[in-house]
Amino acid sequence: MESSAAQARLAVLTKQFYPVSDDMHNLSLQGCAAGDSAAYERRNVADDDVVIVAALRTPLTKAKRGGLKDTDAVDLLATVFKAVLERTRVEPEALGDIVIGSVLGPSSQRANECRIASFFAGIPEVVPVRTVNRQCSSGLQAIADVAAAIKAGFYTVGLAGGVETMSSNPMAWEGGINPRIGEFPSAQGCMLPMGVTSENVAAKFGVNRKTQDEFAARSHRKAAAAKAAGKFRDEIVPVATKVKDPKTNTETPVVISEDDGVRGNATVESLGTLPAVFKKNGTTTAGNSSQVTDGAAAVLMMTRAEARRRGLPVLGVFRSFAAVGVDPSIMGIGPAVAIPAAVARAGLQLDDIDVFEINEAFASQAYYSVNKLGIDEAKVNPNGGAIALGHPLGATGARCTATLLHEMRRRGRAARFGVVSMCIGSGMGAAAVFETGGEVDPVNVRAVKGQTLLSKDAVV
Amino acid sequence: MGRCRTAFNAYSVKFSPFYEGRIAVATAQNFGIIGNGKQHVFEIAPNGALHEVAQYDTQDGLYDCAWSEANENILVSASGDGSIKVYDTALPPAANPVRGFKEHKHECCSLAWNPARRDLFLSSSWDDTARLWSLAAPTSLRTFAGHTYCVYHVAWNPREPDVFLTASGDTTVRVWDLRQPAPSLVLPAHGYEVLAADWCKYDDCMLATGSVDKSIKLWDVRMPGRERLVIPAHSYAVRRVLFSPHAPSLLLSCSYDMTVKLWDTASPQAAQGLPVRSWDHHSEFAVGLDASTLREGVVASAGWDESVWVWDQRGFPTP
Repeated sequence: MESSAAQARLAVLTKQFYPVSDDMHNLSLQGCAAGDSAAYERRNVADDDVVIVAALRTPLTKAKRGGLKDTDAVDLLATVFKAVLERTRVEPEALGDIVIGSVLGPSSQRANECRIASFFAGIPEVVPVRTVNRQCSSGLQAIADVAAAIKAGFYTVGLAGGVETMSSNPMAWEGGINPRIGEFPSAQGCMLPMGVTSENVAAKFGVNRKTQDEFAARSHRKAAAAKAAGKFRDEIVPVATKVKDPKTNTETPVVISEDDGVRGNATVESLGTLPAVFKKNGTTTAGNSSQVTDGAAAVLMMTRAEARRRGLPVLGVFRSFAAVGVDPSIMGIGPAVAIPAAVARAGLQLDDIDVFEINEAFASQAYYSVNKLGIDEAKVNPNGGAIALGHPLGATGARCTATLLHEMRRRGRAARFGVVSMCIGSGMGAAAVFETGGEVDPVNVRAVKGQTLLSKDAVV
Repeated sequence: MGRCRTAFNAYSVKFSPFYEGRIAVATAQNFGIIGNGKQHVFEIAPNGALHEVAQYDTQDGLYDCAWSEANENILVSASGDGSIKVYDTALPPAANPVRGFKEHKHECCSLAWNPARRDLFLSSSWDDTARLWSLAAPTSLRTFAGHTYCVYHVAWNPREPDVFLTASGDTTVRVWDLRQPAPSLVLPAHGYEVLAADWCKYDDCMLATGSVDKSIKLWDVRMPGRERLVIPAHSYAVRRVLFSPHAPSLLLSCSYDMTVKLWDTASPQAAQGLPVRSWDHHSEFAVGLDASTLREGVVASAGWDESVWVWDQRGFPTP
């Protein structure tokens, strides 16, 4: 008898030793005995999910030159606060807390300005307000903080957001620097200008000038196409404000409703003429860096049960958040570390994510992050990024969330999971995972009174 | 009561329906993977000792044997080369085997003789089929195809002469009727391979299945949607299940976990995996099992440890 026959017998016998865990004897290939009359519907939704019912932003305009250059944080925030509350018809006293990301504004003053803005928006004094500062991720951190507080049961409805008025608050360092900083290389890295960290990333990971300019041109192209297609209409709240002419000192009332940083005709050639500004013979220019911008955004969050009770459609579900630390001198790699962490915490794989909003602080770091993770670039910033739209530091996290959720709603079932991520000055990264799907159809959401036989979403 | 050694690894033991003390043992060399086979016939002396009556060598290993219900001297053996050998113990060894049937394309692993239609017997094979034979016919009378993997066991229904079951590695048990062209029932019994199945001798609609998933399930063919009972029986695959010929609720099983167990399916302990008796006399896989119809309570087991034991199920096997 040949050995192949012996091996075949051995194979049949070996299959009988297939490891089977002790509870497997309840398995069988029977059809489901319950049929269609299961007592409950199996869905990926839970009543205690933290859901976003509104995410809106002001237009993003260039600092010192754009339409919002003379608008203060109070007016920016009051505009988005009022908009989210009006559109959802949530009564302001239902808010359990307001958490606003803000970076450059003077700490106590900005926190006070946020409280003043809440009064401007008609929110009563019983609603508290606070700020959060994790540099460029502050807007996203605010969303994560509100989600955590809702999960912890501190309140049911919360408002998260972000604001930055870079026209009024430049990046500055007041007072001296601790003299011992030289003893700690990482601490010294915290003092590097952001553009220098971009040059460090470009040099260390081999992202050349042409690649960065191509990336920047793509960002402008995508943003211009989105603007032309009216894709930002749903998420932008026009701001009624004034613009002061510096020469004549006259104030003109205006309504700003468009982002003004987008240069749809930017090409690799035109960007190639710009000088490197952070390092001699460097690669980082004003054209392949994020713009200095004014803007604000707000995101209204609550439990799913509360959204159902109020008949509010769910724009997205907050699934996970991760903040990570990286080397300050190459802070731009933050998303490459934070995204896998947040995705893993959501119990997902990178391939499960359909859309990414990765803040384009610099083309060098954004390009590096996308490539390092092997993400399909078609999934990243489909409507352009901070290079074209601007990076109002404290608002960016909330702004990207608004852009992401509206884009995912447009895609319907083609998009289920999305990620917002950014690098953070002083060497960090942050990322959050959102999910859309389940009950996102705005038409069906209506409470059904008086009968208990139909599904909770039924319209009677 | 008694124990005997076999030269090769034992695969199957069957009590003769005619002689109280006579057992047939099918064995295969090298655990049946490669090598020869040997068919033994032993006799149990009144003092309990087992002595050999006949021994037949075969080219390939033997996986099962069955006694004829019509003639007290005839037994059939299932071989790893797919053939079925017919032996007559009344004839000298040189005249044996008296017949051979070679039709299965792969290993033949189970034989069952119809107790009512005494001229018919069934074989099942790793070629995914079962075949119906008669000693009077030169070739098989019928082939039952439908399973998609090895058919490990075949068993006649004790009260319906035309009905039998097959248990297969495709995780189903099929109930066939000689009067029908297709199976009367395809039962997806387990999530893993079904190595064993047997009919209840007192309820013609009840059957038990034993599986690689280490459990034994009881089924009523009239309500195949849901098992009547799940017994978390062993810690390795269940190799044989056998309903007692003398008590409606007693069930014997043997397993690759080297134990033979006795279950009372009517008691709540069965569902918790607690047997009436558990015998661990084998030091290798316990793969053969039979209960005597002529002497109530006498059971026999055969194992890869080259031993065959016969004992009373109320007690324990003694060497």
